[in-house]
This record gives sequence, C-alpha cells and structure tokens, in this order.
Amino acid sequence: MRCRERALAEGHVAAATLAGLPDLTPARLRALVDHFGGPVEALAAVRRGLGAAYLATRVRADHRDALARAAASWPGLADPARVAAQLAARGTTVWLDGEPGYPILDEVPGRPYVVLAEGRREARVLDAPRVAVVGTRAATPHGLADAHDLGAHLAASGITVVSGLAIGIDAAAHEGALEAGGPVVGVVATGLDVEYPRRHTTLYRRVRAAGLVLGETGFGVRPSPKRFPVRNRIIAALADVVVVVEATRRGGARITAEYGAQYGRPVFAVPGSRRNASAEGTNALLADGAEVLLDWSDVVVALGLTPAARRAAPARPAPSAPGRRVLDALAGEPASPELLASRTALPPEGVAMAVAELERGRWVRRDRGWVWPC
Amino acid sequence: MLGSVTSATLIGVDGHVVTVEVHIGGGLPGYSVVGLPDAAVRESRERVRAALANSGFAWPSQRVTVNLAPGGLRKTGAGFEVAVALGIALANEQLPAGVLDRVGVLGELGLDGSVRPVPGTLALVDVLARAGMASVVVPAANAAEAALVRGVRIRPATHLGSLRACLEGQDDWPDPPAPPAEPEPADDGVDLAEVRGLTWARRALETAAAGAHHLLLTGPPGAGKTMLARRLPTILPPLDHHEALEVTRIHSAAGHPPVHGLLRERPFRAPHHTASTAALVGGGSRRPGPGEVTLAHRGALFLDELGEFPPHALEAMRQPLEDRVVRISRQPFTITFPADFQLVACSNPCPCGLGPPRCTCSDLQRARYRRRLSAPLLDRFDLRLDVRPPEPDAPPGESSAVVRERVAAAVARQEARYANRPWRRNAHIPAGALGRMVPLDADAADAWRERIEERSLTGRGAARIRRVARTLADLDDSASVSATHVTLASMLREDVP
Repeated sequence: MRCRERALAEGHVAAATLAGLPDLTPARLRALVDHFGGPVEALAAVRRGLGAAYLATRVRADHRDALARAAASWPGLADPARVAAQLAARGTTVWLDGEPGYPILDEVPGRPYVVLAEGRREARVLDAPRVAVVGTRAATPHGLADAHDLGAHLAASGITVVSGLAIGIDAAAHEGALEAGGPVVGVVATGLDVEYPRRHTTLYRRVRAAGLVLGETGFGVRPSPKRFPVRNRIIAALADVVVVVEATRRGGARITAEYGAQYGRPVFAVPGSRRNASAEGTNALLADGAEVLLDWSDVVVALGLTPAARRAAPARPAPSAPGRRVLDALAGEPASPELLASRTALPPEGVAMAVAELERGRWVRRDRGWVWPC
Repeated sequence: MLGSVTSATLIGVDGHVVTVEVHIGGGLPGYSVVGLPDAAVRESRERVRAALANSGFAWPSQRVTVNLAPGGLRKTGAGFEVAVALGIALANEQLPAGVLDRVGVLGELGLDGSVRPVPGTLALVDVLARAGMASVVVPAANAAEAALVRGVRIRPATHLGSLRACLEGQDDWPDPPAPPAEPEPADDGVDLAEVRGLTWARRALETAAAGAHHLLLTGPPGAGKTMLARRLPTILPPLDHHEALEVTRIHSAAGHPPVHGLLRERPFRAPHHTASTAALVGGGSRRPGPGEVTLAHRGALFLDELGEFPPHALEAMRQPLEDRVVRISRQPFTITFPADFQLVACSNPCPCGLGPPRCTCSDLQRARYRRRLSAPLLDRFDLRLDVRPPEPDAPPGESSAVVRERVAAAVARQEARYANRPWRRNAHIPAGALGRMVPLDADAADAWRERIEERSLTGRGAARIRRVARTLADLDDSASVSATHVTLASMLREDVP
C-alpha cells in the first residue's frame, strides 16, 4: 500500500513537471502518457529525448521544426525535484484523469490528463452544482452589473460560480459570488504561481480563500494567447450550465459557449441592445438557439434547484419631473450629457441636476462621461 | 584710457544690463575680450575693427582689452558690437567724454559700419529704461519695436558714421518712429456661431476661457473637438497693457519681432505632435531658448491628438503646468522662462476611437491608453468631457462676440476679487485658500461632498471641481456658489478618456 502511495505521488510530480514544459500542450501530454504507459515513464522518456522523437511522428510536418526547437529545452527544464518542492510548499493538489477526485466527467472529450488546484481543500467546492459565468473583457457597466448580480444570486442559491479570473465579466461574476459568501472556482490558463492579470492579485487571494484556483499547466507557465481558448473547455466541462453575460462577436466567451453546447450543457445568454458592440456575441448566440436569460432564477431552475429568496428590490425615490424627462430621453440606453441636453431641451444645469438626482436614487450611473440607466 | 558704455544681453527671454568697459593701454597691439563671452562675441573683433575703419575712426595701435561686466553673466550674440566700437572710440578719445552717459547702446555691426538689428530689442530696451537710461541707441530696423517702451528716448541708428555725427552734436538725431498703428482686430472668419449644437462642449469652452481652466476634449474623429478648440481665441479676453508688453517681449526675444506694435490678442499656440520635448517646454544645450509653453504665456497651448505626443514630452509638461514657469538647468546656470498658459487638448476616447457605447476596448486597453497619456497630466485638467457629433438638425449657437462679453464680465469679477492676491484667475486659486475664497453654502457643500463620495475623488479632483464651480458662478454673475454650480462643475470633469 505504501508503495502504491509513493507511486501515485511520483506520478503527480511527473505529470506536473511535464505540464510545465514549454509547448508541451495538453494534447501532447496525454499522447506521451498514453504511449509510454504512465506519467513517470513519460517523464523519463522526455528527459532522455525520446518523448520529442515520439511526438515528432505525430505532429504535422510544418509544426515539426517548432516542436524540435521547444523540445530541445525539455531535458534541461524537466526537474521533478524542484516541482515536488513547489507542490509541497504551495499545498497544491494534483488530480490525474481517472483518479478519485478528478473533477471532470469521463465523457468529456479532450479533458486534461492532469489538473492542478489550490485553495480551500476541505470545502466541497466542486460538490455543489456549478454554473460558468463568462463574458468579454470589454464589458459595459450594464454587463458588469449583470455579471455581479448573477454571481451573487447563484452564490446565494448554493451554486458554485466557475469563471476565468479575467478582467471584465469574469471578475464581476467572481466578485458578486464572493460578496454573497459563495464558493467560486477560477480556471486559469497560466501556471498557478503566475497571477495574470497582475491587477487581479487581490481577487486571486479571495478566490483561493473561498474556493479553488484551478488549471492544467505546470508552475511558471506564462500567459500565451493560444492557452486561453484551450482553457475555456475546462470552464465549460466543469459547469452544469454555461451563462454568457456579454460577448463580442469574436471572443473567448463564445468559444466557452460552443464547448458547453458540445458537452451538452444548457447555454444561456443575456440579451443586449443591437447597438451594444459588447453584446454582439451574446445576441448571435441567442440567434443560434441559446436560451434567453431574463431572470437569474431561470438558471437555478434549469439545475433543478430552488432559487434563493429574492432580496427585495431597493426602493427608489420617484424621480422629479426633470428626472423623469432625462429617464425618458435615455430610454434604457446609455447617452452622453450632450445627447440628453439636446433630447430634453434642458440647459446644462438642468441636465446636471437631474442626473445627480437620478444617481442618488440609483436610477442611473455615470461611466466614461456617459450616463447609463441601471 | 578707459571707455565705458551701457548695453544689455538676453538670458532666456529677459534682458540683463551689461557694462562694456574698454581699456587701451601699453603692451603689444592686440585685442582681447573677457567676461564670459560666447563665440559670437569673441569673433566680433574683426567686424568692430573693419566698421571703425570704414566710419572714419582710427584703430588704436596699443593693446585693447574689452570687459563685459558683470563677469559672471554669460553673454551671447553680436548685440554688443556697437557698444564695443563706441567704447573703443571713447577710450581712444575720438568721442568727447560724457556723450554716452545715461545712454544705452544696442546693435550689431556690418563691416562697412552699418548698424544691424538684434533680437529681443523690446526686452533689452525695457531693462535699460528700468536701469535709468535717458535714451537708448537702437538699430533703425528695431526702432519701432523699441518705441513701445515708455519713458525712454529712442535714438535710431543706421550707420556708425552718422551715429558719431549725432553723438558729437553735428547732426540732429533722426525722429524716433511714430508708434505703429494698432492693428484692426484680425477677422479670419472663425467664429463660434459656425459650431452647431454641442451645448455642453460650448459651455465647457466658455468656462475654460473665463477661469483659465485647462480643458480636455475627447471624442471620435469628426465630433468637432478641434473645430471647437480652435475657436477658443475668439472668446478670450484681450491682453491688458502690462500683459501685452510681457507677451510681446517674449515673442521678440524668441525671434518674432512685433510687426504691428504690441500683441493685443492672447497667444494661441498649436504645435504639431511631432514637436520635440525641447520645442515644447524649451531647452537646447548652449543657449536654451523658450518652448511652446513659453510662447503660449498668458494665452493657450493647444495639443491636438494628445495621445500622439511622445510620452516624455507630456511628462515634461507637468512641471510648467504646476509652477507656471519652466526652469531649465544647465551647468552652471538655470534659466527661468514664464509659462503661464492654459492647456487645451483633444484626444481619442480610447484606442479604438469610438468611445461609448460602441467601443470594444477592454478595460486593460483603456488603462494602458490612459497610462500613455500620463495619469498625472490627465489629473491636471479642470474640465474633461466627451464630445459627440452634433445631431444634424442642431441649431447654430451663439456667436463669439456674445460669449466673449460674458467671459469678459466673469474675468472682471475675478480681477476685482483677487486684486490683492498673487493670482488673478479662478484656476490659479491655491488649494489652501479655496475654503476662504470659494465659500459654499449648506446646499452647495452637501452637493460637493456627495460628488466627492460618488466619484471617490482625490483631494486634487475635489479642489478642481470647486474652482470650476466658482467660474460657473462668475459666469452667472452670482456672488455665491450654489449646489447647481457644484453639480454642473462635477459633470464637466468626467473620467475620460
């Protein structure tokens, strides 16, 4: 039995070491493990240069040079002793495909061979129903508010919110869930020791404290544009339902939604204005048959759960006559003060006072010089 | 045998009195100049010698020593040559002693003895007049400019020979030129009436003009930002006499002598974004010259496409914006240029140029863009707003003349209020004096506090809103600042770009 445990730990270290090598993609990692009969054997082969030779027979001819260049560094970089020390020091959990605790279902194609996770280990973060909330980094104030509210509502209903720790919708969803005291999972495309984007350092710390930060790459792997779309399949695979709050026409969030559909997960999208470039992707998803998300509890119902009791909507003071004129002029869309002045025929002072009153009453908010209805 | 003549030199844009002493004494014939001369001063020897010979003076057959005092001041240019030539004639006893007492002498020499113009005449004559000179000999070509200085007789000189005749009393001095006629107000057909709609942006421009506030306009291309900014000079109040003299002196020293007497209109400088840092803030290695910020002194500096300017040039603007002077330090001296200007800038709202609501830039991209524009620079704008193209049926607005009248009234209120203060406009009220100078009634104070909390403003941001509120009240001809003024001021300073 002791012998078996040691072998397991050795396998974990070997897999984590392989996952940290440059250009050793998840697909290549799995191919190596399958061919050589296990992670320990695969690592030994890589260190002797055999791994690269085997992979060279599998890749397309035009990728062979790039692979050879990257693989030349593998024997030198593969240092299981250092990785073992890091795993122990950071308290990182390693799950290999097929082991108990491995969080992704067997029927998901292309699932990672190895998953690394850090955070609240004793909490059963992954046992709760999980909903992915994703969207664009170029979010509007509306999108951010929606993601925040949705995150909070899901957390209050006992659902784990899964997202990508990116700027914009991802961060807003994480924060909403954290503020409601819920568990969260952040799926990253870099090594767990590389916090990206850097300004989310605090968010990383909060996610680790209340949930899990999880990824399939080894320590020290820097952000690379190719890794992010690949990471999105894990977000989709971990989720029972995928919700896209705002997405641009060509964005990572749409990729997550497509993976979700491929894995048979219900995909919801929050509709946006035709004029909102940050909602083009979500509207396109709706046109393609995604479910319209108008009421947050629809997601909870889709999971077969009972939604959390609603917090009563905050009472808003009735707007004054000029306030009403400004609200009518907004008609639910953002507008510049200039547009408001020309639509309401109020002088600048009048618009300023009306907008200040509406801000006080939480009817509108201001961002980048524009007035946005709440 | 000693001759002494009073002259002046330029340092930066200021004149400094220089005494030219000439000693002719024993020793081998020779010529030396002492007193920190630059190359142009040192090589004047050949010009002075030829000019004296061609004007009927004898060159002394002894040793000539020229001293430029005070010795610690660095002298530049060829403007001392007439003074040196007259000093040699005095020391050589070819001119009667005393003819140059209380007379300032300026001018460069040609080989034939002709007197050539010098840059910065206005500043030089001004400092000589202050130093108690009764008259100043100036090159005839600079006489009109010199005549702008009051309280000193101007003696135009064309040639060393005729100058000698006048000094000896054989000829009468030529009449000083009549002060040039004040020019007709320039009418280049630019007027605010051409700007349709844009009520907010027009209000911001008017406020900027009235309170000397820095203004930033963002918006997509074609929104009318540049069109609006270029009409700022049409509503600025004219320069008063003291300011006009100051501005004309700077421009004369920078090599743009006035053509039509004193400059009456406030300068409006619009350097292109390819301008170097030295061209913007001043500098240069041997003889530091004024930059655009100094040429815009008492007027406006317009930077179109702020994001295209090199970041280090924008960083260099921060110190002049704060201190309203530029200090250029070169071993072993420091030059101070005045730089009391109003900054008007235009920029794209974000890297994609569209701005809300069609913008697709991520938060990170916008943060990077702001960083390139320099956050501390953006913080120094009192007025910041997003400009959008006017709706096609928008009516034309008020003409510049109407707006200019309101601006002039608001400026007059400020001048009266700050009569005994070191500052003159609302934008320049020191933060420490705001509480006293811009009192807020209870409602206004509530509105101010609310705006600060709402926008989580820094102390600096809050102070800027208060200054703008004061200007809005002045434009309303209101003695007190109301909640409406504070609220509008806060909406005229948005978080853009």
